[in-house]
Amino acid sequence: MAMDWEPLTLWVALVVYVLAGSLAIFGGVLRTRPEKAVLALLVLGLLLHTASIALRWERLGHGPYITMFEILLSNIWSLLAIYLLAYWRIPAIRPTAAVVMPILFVMMGWLLVTSPHEGHLPATYHTVWLFVHIGFGKVFLGCALVAVGISGVILLRGRRHAGNRFASLPDDSRLDELSFRFMAIALIFETLMLIAGAIWAQDAWGRYWAWDPLETWSFLTWLSLAFALHARVAYKVSPRTGAVMVMAVFVLAFLTFFGVPFVSTAPHKGAV
Amino acid sequence: MKTGRRYAGQEQADALPGTPPQSRVWRVLGALASLKLSLVILAALGAGILTAYLSAAPATWALAAPLAAFALNLLAAVATNPVFRRKTPLLIFHLALIAVILLLAAGRLTYLKGQLELAEGEVFDGQLTQEESGPWHPRRLDVLRFSNEGFTISYAKGVRRGATRNRVAWAAPDGSVQHAVIGDQDPLVLSGYRFYTTHNKGFAPTFTWYASSGAAPVTGTVHLPAYPLHEHKQALEWTPPGGKTPLWVMLQFDEVILDPAKPSEFRLPSGHLIVVRAGEARYELKPGERVSLAEGVLEYNGLRVWMGYTVFYDFTLPWLLAACLLAVMSLAWHFRGKFFARPWDKPSTGTS
Ligand code: HEM
Repeated sequence: MAMDWEPLTLWVALVVYVLAGSLAIFGGVLRTRPEKAVLALLVLGLLLHTASIALRWERLGHGPYITMFEILLSNIWSLLAIYLLAYWRIPAIRPTAAVVMPILFVMMGWLLVTSPHEGHLPATYHTVWLFVHIGFGKVFLGCALVAVGISGVILLRGRRHAGNRFASLPDDSRLDELSFRFMAIALIFETLMLIAGAIWAQDAWGRYWAWDPLETWSFLTWLSLAFALHARVAYKVSPRTGAVMVMAVFVLAFLTFFGVPFVSTAPHKGAV
Repeated sequence: MKTGRRYAGQEQADALPGTPPQSRVWRVLGALASLKLSLVILAALGAGILTAYLSAAPATWALAAPLAAFALNLLAAVATNPVFRRKTPLLIFHLALIAVILLLAAGRLTYLKGQLELAEGEVFDGQLTQEESGPWHPRRLDVLRFSNEGFTISYAKGVRRGATRNRVAWAAPDGSVQHAVIGDQDPLVLSGYRFYTTHNKGFAPTFTWYASSGAAPVTGTVHLPAYPLHEHKQALEWTPPGGKTPLWVMLQFDEVILDPAKPSEFRLPSGHLIVVRAGEARYELKPGERVSLAEGVLEYNGLRVWMGYTVFYDFTLPWLLAACLLAVMSLAWHFRGKFFARPWDKPSTGTS
């Protein structure tokens, strides 16, 4: 009997991710830095994950952007890919994996309890704007995730029981600077995502903006990001406050990406 | 160094060289340009959007008021804040934001959104079944003409709608007849009006009415309720032109057009009957048959399909896109300059 590679590669990828994440978390707790191993495991997991997505794409004839399962599947992939890039290029912030991986674990757990059934590809999805829109969105969320990892370290470090964990990272004000640079890039990509989405909506539904739930929440996310960047300019915001703002923006973005499709089944409820 | 704190508050703006430092206008502008006010406005805009989103009644003011404040705050900041003199990309970005807001307002004042239905072979004559428009909409719809030349719609298993291909024809300004296939993401654009096919479509029996008053015969279509949305309600009441007594017509056929078990195409049934009820009397008509009624003779000519369209007009679309692209490009330019000026892990020499 032929082996079913699609679920198998996904399962193994998830196990490898969990290993990488656990190693990173223990590294944080025990103050060791098993970074090479974490990096290798994340790359391995991502390769397997890519294979699973490719197999599903091949089988269904369309990409992973219709059902909740597919939205989670492809976003775990893109978040990891972008985080991995930051992990590889900016060694100073590698211990942030101890913050980032648990967030991804939550998404992986959610993925496992979601039905992997096939969805129906709406007629309005046969357009290049689909890829442009989704692609920009994924970069946006990935950059925000890197900022969340850095902000998480700033917040954890300030706790009473933190001891000197995370002491090897640069000081708070530098981390704050770096996390807001990622938020600045996130703002650019979120703006691009909104523009591409509006172009697509105009073509597909004859209106570029109609305040459907996703449009409303993604615009609120955009505003919150503008607010955070401005607050940092208008006041002397401490790294801790900055970190809290980053977290708040990410929560809003996370709810927009996964909460709204979760409660309204179709990605753009009522409009598809 | 360029750090955030230097620009906290706008008091410094008073001291811009070349202006009387104590000028009242300048002080008011300075206060209006406050970055702290921007924060309040951004929060108010968020709250306004939530209000409009959650409330059932239209809440235009919840959006328009913060947006107006937003524009004023921005304009004042651009006029008075010296940072915009030094950082051109940041200036361009914020000016582009103002342009977006102004264009949105212009769009709201001049847009049109409407609906229409055309049976196969029918020509659009400027009449909409439903519309909303801004107060300054330049009505140029009445002179537009295009005809629905028929369509195909594929359905996947489970009656899931796939691609819509609608052939349309219209006369170009030079008089030549143009043809196109529209549907899904491809509208027909005529003089800035964009016509889109919709999921709203169905069957349209065609009748000719010979009024007993001697008036000239009239041929027209009756658009039955949308199919397959109202699959089991393929009936409609209507009154013949010049008549008083309403007629009730129903389309009857037995075959399955859109089979949930397999892929299918939207099409006319291969055999069908039209049931007409006038008061207590009931008639069954096949194409070509007629029936004499109290106020005239009704002839049933045959069955066609109809398509529902939406039409959208907004002259700001290309400008809006240009302003948005300018905004995002200047934003990228601003951050690029800022980030390249100093690596993130070098200590800043500024105040923070
Ligand atoms: C409410 C009206 C607004 C006013 C008066 C305003 C004003 C300003 C000013 C004066 C600065 C310069 C800060 C400095 O570097 O000293 C600035 C920066 C900036 N503004 Fe605005 N702004 C407004 C709205 C917005 C909005 C809606 C966005 C949307 C994202 C935005 C995004 C930015 C960004 C990204 C920066 C650069 C921050 C940085 O370099 O870290 N602004 N704004």
